[in-house]
Amino acid sequence: MMIGLAERIWLILIGLTLVGIFFAETGHAGWLLTMTVATLIIVKGNFVIDYYMDMRSANKRIRNILRFFIIIIPVLVILIHAWGDEIRQVITVF
Amino acid sequence: MSQIKLSTSPISIDSVPVTVDQTSIHGRIPGNRGIWVGIFCVLVEFLFLFGVYLISKAHHPEAFSTGPDKLVTLAGTTITLLLLTSGYCMVKAVNAIKDDQRKASVRWIILAILLGLGYPIVKYFEIRWNVEHGVDAEAGIFYTVYYYLTLNHLVHVCWGLLGLICVATFTNMGMYSSKNYSGIEAAAVYWHTTDIIWLVIFPFFYILR
Repeated sequence: MMIGLAERIWLILIGLTLVGIFFAETGHAGWLLTMTVATLIIVKGNFVIDYYMDMRSANKRIRNILRFFIIIIPVLVILIHAWGDEIRQVITVF
Repeated sequence: MSQIKLSTSPISIDSVPVTVDQTSIHGRIPGNRGIWVGIFCVLVEFLFLFGVYLISKAHHPEAFSTGPDKLVTLAGTTITLLLLTSGYCMVKAVNAIKDDQRKASVRWIILAILLGLGYPIVKYFEIRWNVEHGVDAEAGIFYTVYYYLTLNHLVHVCWGLLGLICVATFTNMGMYSSKNYSGIEAAAVYWHTTDIIWLVIFPFFYILR
């Protein structure tokens, strides 16, 4: 069976998923796990956007909105991990 | 093909209004405009839901740190693999119809549906296991948010599956070809959107601890 681009992307996505699980199941936690999870979400999300959805040559506005979605949430998780107490105080004020 | 004018007042060259294919200005729109309105509504909805997750996590870091321990990681992993593989099948289905291979396209869509149906089945057994072990929506803030987000995602996956069943039927009836495949592509991009959302949900609830 010929390994084409779609097959390679599928294998990469499966591989990255298993890497994340292995990382968590081998006892990693805290900062390292948060950064790994955030990176994996962004990398895998961009693979799906670019290759599964074929957005590489598609409408840039649509592609950027999808990229914003897949980047902003992991970034917020990192911020919560780093400054959870401060953010909680700000949220409570509002 | 949809066309737009370059400005609000038509630009004329020798008194002939100039129009241009919209795809040449902003790039191609996969599927159709309608599906992207729906997709952006779903993304906004999930931005709010992830907002709930993040605010809850900021207020209850301990609950979110230990919460994943009681969930079945294997169930989340299986759902991830099913969705990614189902998404791959839809990539192949779109590629096949672009080559006018109608029967191959139908086969790939049916395979995508079968794999996608694995999601609600796995979810059923996961929730049954959870409830048997006391992990229901009232077990704590982490599990409340977990049920809220994952069941909401399941609803959107069910919409996606219905869409895939429709395009499989239409493709089999010969309604799509290499010149007209926007329907299959629209269903595929919606299906991939549920992939993207799950790629965030999965590590948040099953991995991050």
